[in-house]
Amino acid sequence: MLEGDLVKRARKGDLDAYDELVKRYQERIYATVYHMTSNHEDANDIAQEAFIKAFQALKSFRGGSSFYTWLYRIAVNKTINFLKQRRNKNHFSLNDLDFNAEHDPDLVALISDKTPHREIGLSELQKKLNEALMQLSEPHRMVVVLHDVQGQSHEEIAEIMDCNIGTVRSRLFYARQQLQGYLAEYAKPA
Amino acid sequence: MNEKQKQNNFEDLKQLLKLKRHEIPPPGYFNNFSGQVVSRIRAGEAGGARTFMERLEVEAPWAVSFLRIFETRPGVIGAFATSVCLLLVSVVVFSERADKAAKAQLAISEATAPVGSPMASMTSPTFVAASDSTGIVASTNPVTSLQPVATLFGQPGSSSLFQQANFAPASH
Repeated sequence: MLEGDLVKRARKGDLDAYDELVKRYQERIYATVYHMTSNHEDANDIAQEAFIKAFQALKSFRGGSSFYTWLYRIAVNKTINFLKQRRNKNHFSLNDLDFNAEHDPDLVALISDKTPHREIGLSELQKKLNEALMQLSEPHRMVVVLHDVQGQSHEEIAEIMDCNIGTVRSRLFYARQQLQGYLAEYAKPA
Repeated sequence: MNEKQKQNNFEDLKQLLKLKRHEIPPPGYFNNFSGQVVSRIRAGEAGGARTFMERLEVEAPWAVSFLRIFETRPGVIGAFATSVCLLLVSVVVFSERADKAAKAQLAISEATAPVGSPMASMTSPTFVAASDSTGIVASTNPVTSLQPVATLFGQPGSSSLFQQANFAPASH
């Protein structure tokens, strides 16, 4: 069924239609929140609350953007508000790496070629990466997560974060520079 | 450094960030996710009206964001309270100064105005107060006459409709 039809039905209170919409976007919304918080339990709560709030606010959804972008915006705002309240109280609850990580040629090459301590495991690298990400400000981290982790375009990010493309580009550049500094041992400039 | 070189500098970092894509939630996590969301929506609807904050969050998210500034930055509360106090004090001080300036200007204009001019013929509140025969000092012209009124219907005995009561026993 088309997204527009599902949205129309959900606006009328059809929870089956909304259930279908949740299923379509749950993984992407959860992943965005998870990568921002580095905490599975927090990500679960925030992602669920974002979907609930979206359902409650569906009547105010005018269709100016796609439902997906609108939903993303709600999730992003909820996440940033949560992180502002939780400032300086980071506690990791990282998800496990999937089986494919060990066989990802890019990651294997990165570990064997670049790391000074060759015995470093992927789990340790994962922890270092998350620590580095958490040192970025929320808007900078969000841009990195949406672009470099989730593969969204600059235009989509600008729409989600309600800013212009130039801002997205400059934030991305600054965030990468910062990350490179934090992860100098693992991601040296070419 | 041109744009291409800048991009190349981040290649290792981008490869490293790919590791994040391999972080996955526990198996079966998404099987129940939408069900939980729908259950919570149903529970919320069954629970009746939403709280004020929940309604505000949906209808005026800017107001919630504004209130959250106070939650997250306690210093802002102090700054806000101080600025409100300063504003009140400055309003009081300014209004007092404006009052004094107006009185001073009135006094100057009375002193400098020539006799016979419309300005001089105006009666100031102090003049009215001084000329009041009852001796009651009023800063403004009295709204009602302060002259004593003997009775509600005029001077006693001035009306033929009234007779003074006489309780002396009638002589028959």
